[in-house]
Amino acid sequence: MTPLLELRGLTRAYGSLTAVDHVDLAVLPGERHALIGPNGAGKSTLFATVAGTLPATGGNVVFDGHDVTALAESERARRGLLRTYQHSSLFLDCSVLDNVALAVQRVHRVAHRFDRAARRFRRTEAEACRHLESVGLAGRAGDRASALSHGERRQLEVAMVLAAQPSLVMFDEPTAGMSAAETERFAELVERLPDDLTLLIVEHDLDVVFRLADRVTVLHLGRVLATGTPQEIQADDEVRRAYLGSARAEELFTGGL
Amino acid sequence: MERAEAGATEVTRSSPRRLVLAGAVLAVLVAVPVVLGAYPVTTMTRMLAFAVLVLSVDLLTGVAGLPTLGQAAYFGAGAYTAVLVGLHLTSDAMAQVAAGLVAGLVAAAATGWVAVRARGIVFLMLTLAIGESVHQVADTWSAVGGSNGLAGMPPISLFGSPLLASGFVYWWVLAVAIAVFAGVALVVRSPYGRTLRGVRDNEARMRALGYRPALARYGVFCLAGAVAGAGGALWVAQARFVSPGDLGFEVAALALLSVVIGGAGSLWGPCLGAALVLLVRDNLSASIGGHGPLVLGLVFVAVVFLMPRGLAGAGRGKGPRRGRGKGRGKERPS
Repeated sequence: MTPLLELRGLTRAYGSLTAVDHVDLAVLPGERHALIGPNGAGKSTLFATVAGTLPATGGNVVFDGHDVTALAESERARRGLLRTYQHSSLFLDCSVLDNVALAVQRVHRVAHRFDRAARRFRRTEAEACRHLESVGLAGRAGDRASALSHGERRQLEVAMVLAAQPSLVMFDEPTAGMSAAETERFAELVERLPDDLTLLIVEHDLDVVFRLADRVTVLHLGRVLATGTPQEIQADDEVRRAYLGSARAEELFTGGL
Repeated sequence: MERAEAGATEVTRSSPRRLVLAGAVLAVLVAVPVVLGAYPVTTMTRMLAFAVLVLSVDLLTGVAGLPTLGQAAYFGAGAYTAVLVGLHLTSDAMAQVAAGLVAGLVAAAATGWVAVRARGIVFLMLTLAIGESVHQVADTWSAVGGSNGLAGMPPISLFGSPLLASGFVYWWVLAVAIAVFAGVALVVRSPYGRTLRGVRDNEARMRALGYRPALARYGVFCLAGAVAGAGGALWVAQARFVSPGDLGFEVAALALLSVVIGGAGSLWGPCLGAALVLLVRDNLSASIGGHGPLVLGLVFVAVVFLMPRGLAGAGRGKGPRRGRGKGRGKERPS
C-alpha cells in the first residue's frame, strides 16, 4: 500500500539547532499513527513542518502522492491535510456554530458569498450542526466559543477539523490539560471516527497512545529512534533508555495496560 | 480597538422590538424634511453621506478587524468622479452614485493589495500613506481643479427632473444610504461576513482550515472602497462641489473616530457616531468659539473610558463581554 503521508529526510533547523533531523516516516491510509518522544524531541516542530505552518529547511513532505513541501499551509489543508493545535485555537468571539461553519463553508465553496444571509445556506448550516452533534456540542451552537470549558473547546476543535473533510488529521497533544473523564471521552470520540480517516497523533499520555495507535514512532533529539506496533515499542530497550531513562519506565508502560 | 466589541456583529435574527425601533427611526428620518427647515435638512444630508463613509470604515475596522485611515481616499475618488460625471456627462443621480461606487471600487482594487498583506499598525500606516498620496494627487492635479477643487456641478436629477429642493436631495441620499446600510448588513450576516470575522479573530487558524486570509481581506477592502465611493457621490449630490479637503486626513480620522464612538462592529452605532461627529464639527463648533475639535477629543476620551464598546455597547450591561458565560450569544446588538 502506498503511504498517504511520507516524510523523506525532513529537516527543520533553527540556526545551528536542528529540531527535526532527517526524519523518514510513512503513514498508511487509514492508519492511526502516534508520535511520541520526550520533551524537546522535536514533535511539535515536526508537526508544524508537515502541516506547513513552518517551512522545511530540508527534505520532502509527500502527501497523497504529491510533493507538498513547497505548498502553503492553506493549500495543504485544501488537499485534506488538517491539523489541530496543542492549545485550542478557536475563533473565540464567534459562536460555536460559526467555528464549525467556517470549516464547512470553505469545503462547500461558499466562504466568499455575500448574496444571502449565512443561515439561508441550509446545506452548510445543517452540515455544521451535524458535526457539532457528533462531538456532543449541539446544545451550545449559539454560545460564544469563549464560553466553552477547556474540554469542550477541544471537542469543538475536533468538530472543526472533521468538518473540513480531511483525509489525514494531525492531532497535537489532544488530551493535554484534560481531566480523566474528558480524556476518556476524547479517546471514545477518536475510536468512533471513520476507519478510512488517517490519524497522526502527538501525545504525552501513553495510555491513550497505546489504546488508539496502530503504529508508534518514537522521536528523540529530532531523529526517529524506532517505529513499530505498540507492543514492539514497549519492548524496545533503546526506547526505554532514551524516552524514560529509568526504571520508572516499567510503571509508565505497564500502568495503563 | 477592543476586539470583543466587534464580536457584537454576530447578528442573526431581528427581534420584533428591534424591528419596531428600526421602523420608528426610519419614519423619523423620512419625516425630517417635512418638519425641519432647509438648513437642518442639508446638515442631515451631509450626515447621511458621511455615515456611508463611516459604514465602509466600520466594515473594515469592526467586521474585518482592520483599523483604517485610508477610506477618505475612496470617498474622494467617488466624490470627484460624481462631480466630473455631473459636470460633463449627466446630472442623473443614479448614474452619479453608480459612477462613484465603481470609482471607489476600482481605486480600492488598484491600491488595496499592498495594504491587505499587512495587519494592525502596519495596515493602518499603509492606508494612511494611500490616503495622503491620493490627497496629494487631488491637491496638485490641475485636471481636477488642483487645490481649488471642482465647483459648478448642476443640481442632480432623478428620472429627468432636477431635484432643486433640499428635501428631495435629502430623500434621495437617505434612500441610497438605507440601501447601502442593508447591503453592508447582508455582508455581515453572510458566509463571507463569517469568513471575515474568522480572519479577524484567528488568522493562523483560518490558514490551517484552508483559507487565504489576504484574499478575504482584499475582497472586503474592495467592497469597503465601493461603499466609500458611493458615500462620496452622495456627499457631492448635496454639496455640488468637491475639493481636496473632502478627502484629507481629517475626514479619514473623523470617520475612524465615529466608528470608535459608535462601537466597532455594530452598524447603527457608527452611523450615530457619524452624526454626532459632524454635528460637533460643523454646527456646535461655531457656537463654542471654534473649539469643536476639543469637544470631539473630550467625547472620544469619555467614550473610551465610559463606554469601551461605544454607543452600540452602552446600555447592554456593564463589565467585560468575554467569558461571561452562557446566554451571551443571545445578545445581538447590530
